[in-house]
Amino acid sequence: MTLTSEGSTDNAQATPAAHAVDLRKTYGTGQAAVHALAGVDVTFERGRFTAVMGPSGSGKSTLMHCMAGLDRPTSGQTFVSGQDVGALDDAGLTRLRRDKIGFVFQSYNLIPTLSAAENITLPADLAGTKVDRDWLGYLVKQLGIGDRLTHRPSELSGGQQQRVACARALINKPALVFADEPTGNLDSNASADVLTFLRQSVSELGQSIVMVTHDPRGAAYADWVIFLADGTVVGELDQPTADSILERMRTLGA
Amino acid sequence: MRKVTIKGLLAHKLRLVLTALAIVLGVTFISGTFVLTDTLQNTFTTLFGNIYANIDFQVRGVAQLGSGAGATRNELPESLLNTVRRVPGVAAADGQVSGYAQFVARDGKAIANSGGAPTLGVAFDPDRQMSPLHLIAGGPPVAPDDVVMDAATAQKYGFTTGQRVRILSAGPTRTFTITGIVQFGTANNLAGATLAAFTLPTAQAIAQETGKLDDINVVTTPGASKTAVQRAIAAVLPPGVQVVTGQTVVNESTSSVSQALSFFSTALLVFAFISLFVGAFTIYNTFSIIVGQRTRELALLRIVGASRRQVFGSVLAEAAITGLVSSVIGLGLGVLAALGLQALLSGFGVTLPPGSLVFEPRTVLVGLAVGVGVTVVSAIGPARGAVRIPPVVALDDRQSVAGASLRRRFTWGTVLALAGAVLLGIGLAQPAIQLVGIGAAGLFVGVATLSPAVARPLSSVIGRPLPRLLGVAGKLGRENSMRSPRRTAQTAAALMVGLALVSAMAVFGASLSKSATSSADQAISADVIVTATGSAELSNAVPATASAVPGVTATTAFYSGRFEFQNSLTRLVAVSTTHLADTVILRMTAGTPAALSRGELLIDSTTARSKHLSVGGTARARFALTGPAVLRIGGIYQANALIGSYLVSAGFFLAHFPPQPPGGLLLRTGGSSAVNSAVTQALARYPNLQVQTRAQFEQAQVSSVNQLLGLVYALLGLAVIIALIGIVNTLMLSVFERTREIGLLRAVGMQRRQVRAMVRSEAVILAIFGAIVGIVIGTALGLALVASLRQQGITDTAVPVSSLVIFLLLSALLGLVAASWPARRAARLDVLAAIAAE
Repeated sequence: MTLTSEGSTDNAQATPAAHAVDLRKTYGTGQAAVHALAGVDVTFERGRFTAVMGPSGSGKSTLMHCMAGLDRPTSGQTFVSGQDVGALDDAGLTRLRRDKIGFVFQSYNLIPTLSAAENITLPADLAGTKVDRDWLGYLVKQLGIGDRLTHRPSELSGGQQQRVACARALINKPALVFADEPTGNLDSNASADVLTFLRQSVSELGQSIVMVTHDPRGAAYADWVIFLADGTVVGELDQPTADSILERMRTLGA
Repeated sequence: MRKVTIKGLLAHKLRLVLTALAIVLGVTFISGTFVLTDTLQNTFTTLFGNIYANIDFQVRGVAQLGSGAGATRNELPESLLNTVRRVPGVAAADGQVSGYAQFVARDGKAIANSGGAPTLGVAFDPDRQMSPLHLIAGGPPVAPDDVVMDAATAQKYGFTTGQRVRILSAGPTRTFTITGIVQFGTANNLAGATLAAFTLPTAQAIAQETGKLDDINVVTTPGASKTAVQRAIAAVLPPGVQVVTGQTVVNESTSSVSQALSFFSTALLVFAFISLFVGAFTIYNTFSIIVGQRTRELALLRIVGASRRQVFGSVLAEAAITGLVSSVIGLGLGVLAALGLQALLSGFGVTLPPGSLVFEPRTVLVGLAVGVGVTVVSAIGPARGAVRIPPVVALDDRQSVAGASLRRRFTWGTVLALAGAVLLGIGLAQPAIQLVGIGAAGLFVGVATLSPAVARPLSSVIGRPLPRLLGVAGKLGRENSMRSPRRTAQTAAALMVGLALVSAMAVFGASLSKSATSSADQAISADVIVTATGSAELSNAVPATASAVPGVTATTAFYSGRFEFQNSLTRLVAVSTTHLADTVILRMTAGTPAALSRGELLIDSTTARSKHLSVGGTARARFALTGPAVLRIGGIYQANALIGSYLVSAGFFLAHFPPQPPGGLLLRTGGSSAVNSAVTQALARYPNLQVQTRAQFEQAQVSSVNQLLGLVYALLGLAVIIALIGIVNTLMLSVFERTREIGLLRAVGMQRRQVRAMVRSEAVILAIFGAIVGIVIGTALGLALVASLRQQGITDTAVPVSSLVIFLLLSALLGLVAASWPARRAARLDVLAAIAAE
């Protein structure tokens, strides 16, 4: 099954932010084989906020890990900004993640020994490149963490930590941001802050984001939702609302 | 609970292996020492037993000074031999003579063992039953210029019967004909000693004992009553001569060997215990971290019903099992180490009579007790920490368990460190070696307890250049080292102890070298110093030969021997008095050197003070040869290690001691190198001499100090290795703990190279931290040690800054080495697995 997005209006560039071709990931062999991904073709267009939904074990995290070069697929190809991820060695993958991809994880995603500001600039510091001060200032202002920059993660609330993580994900102006359950550990107010920021960075800055979630209200912030079950894409929804997502989840039996 | 313990052990194999390694090495050291010294002891006991196997009695002089095998005894008149032979029940009696005789190899060099074993010249005993020597080729010496050579020398230097060989002795150097080759029992030589056996008259001449015997060995006729024979012999002996059983002689020799060996084994054991002490820090640290990592698991055990006792017991049991397994491995390796050392000894030319390794039950008991004991005791602290974990922790995400309060820690640390320092001070002043050891241990534990307080700021300072050098990786490494000051300090503590001891030895060695040089400078004004190499003796002809060289303006011969001064055994030095002022500097504080010529005694200022003696006073003394004497104090000079505490004239000395050549010569040549080389030339036919200028002499002293230091460093090296294992261990555990964090860093773009740099940075900071604290403490310890040995002749203090800097740099380098494995592991972590972990 092939899916292409049709709602891409603000970016006419030829290469999508990322795409996967017949992606398969199998654990174990023979009778015991488990197909985490059973042939997925998907394209994440630039400037689009995509939500990936599905029940536990549907393969949504595996899809993200393979696309981000954190995991090697059993077969098939993944591309980020047109770059064949499978063709990269460890150093190349590391550079890809550092320069082209931003990550926001569910929790524990800051380095405890570094201050908030140092955590944000970490990818740039690792690359040894100069931090774009204006860009940093903009992100910090947008996220409302200006007075928290010298604090260590242990001195920040969960919501503040996740906003710092968002800033870090965007600091290198990546081609694509992967967010894995970014609001999984947050209360509803903090969740709304984070999701609003992600939404804005897509709408106002043209950032591309792929977010794995199982929260329909969170997914409603996205432009496009794809549904995974048993390692395959089983549905999609353009311009979703929480209700339409719930409706679709019911029909899919997920 | 037993199941939990064993599962716990199996789950953490790697860190247990690392922990165990510290114990394995320490126990190896202990058991190796025991096995080696027991084996040597056994070998010598057997050897002496064989030598005296057929000897029933020995007639010898009564011990004049000292006792047992090391006693000074007077020689016997040769005429006594016939007296003894005539005693009813005596089947045979043979006179023994032993002195210095050294073969000269074909290349003109004197033959000696590097181990410093003696070169013996003895009378060949023709009685096969009584002699321990067995001819394996040729026959006994018959003519005055016949000699029998030991098989080891003959083999090594290619001598056979019928050939001629030059032999150095206290008399003139002479050439002999080899009539036979002998073995010592079944060994080719006697523990490395070379042997030249002559006819009795020749041996007497060589040993400067014409008409005299050292002792007489007696064999009784079969069936005769031994006690009756012994009584009969005793009845014919003059005063001052005794008859003892062969067994007595064996026992005396054996016990003198075991005394020497026990000194040797004690010295080695000290280093073994230092290693284990350092190992204890490593174990303490490992178990602390293990308990920390298992906090939730232990809390869960408490929830499901484990009592505090059971938790405590499970941690201790884990320690006991680790200790037991390591000790058993260590015992096994100890045997191998002993074999290796034995091979090393024979490499030095010390061929021992064949004897199998001796593995005493005591070796096993001590090895196991110490290995298990150290492990269990080190784990008590962490086990108590485990007990304090409240069960609720298992249900709570915040895994923090507060340790002992900092203030309590500070108090304890200060008390321990101060108490240790005081004990150490008393121990050094006494001197009492046990107190020094306990004090040092207290000091180290105290400082280790206190050091977490400075770990953060110090790590920060040490790590300051790293962010600039290595970027984020360096910065993160520095932050990681500051993150858990307690862990950093505990890990560094082991290295601290090692470096403290090494630095203390460096300060001691540098001060010793400097003192040796300056005492030579202050005592000797001679330009050239002639001494015998190793255990050799000068020929009587050497003084005349040397002083006959044109340009030699003054010659002073010096002698030394044992005597009793105010009831204690000590060393007496004598110098020839003509031209004394040209070769020896005596800084008189009272009296005059001229008193020497009047047969008066000069003493040094330290002795004068401690014994309350002054010029004009008298003191009782006793000489082995001439008996008691009252000596008049003619002068007091400033203490100097080279001159010693008691000085008389050569004339006085020779009147109270058996005839002997001087121990060395001091020559005045005006510093002319032409004269110096003329002296060397003139003495060339005595290859057993060394002719040194004063500078060379001082250099030789310094290099012998350095040799000793090198040996001590090598022995301390094991402790440093164990400390490094501790660093490896901590880093591995840290990497394991931070799996998730490292995974995150990798996810956001950290290269493997950067991960490695991060781990290495932390290791280098750890190592430098330990080294700095260690070097500071060690320098203080070394200075204290030097101060306490002022009386013993270490008058100068030197701090070898360059050596200390090298130690620091080496520590940093070793830190890098220790980090290589953990760094590789960290870099190899699977990013996804790291993120997904837990």
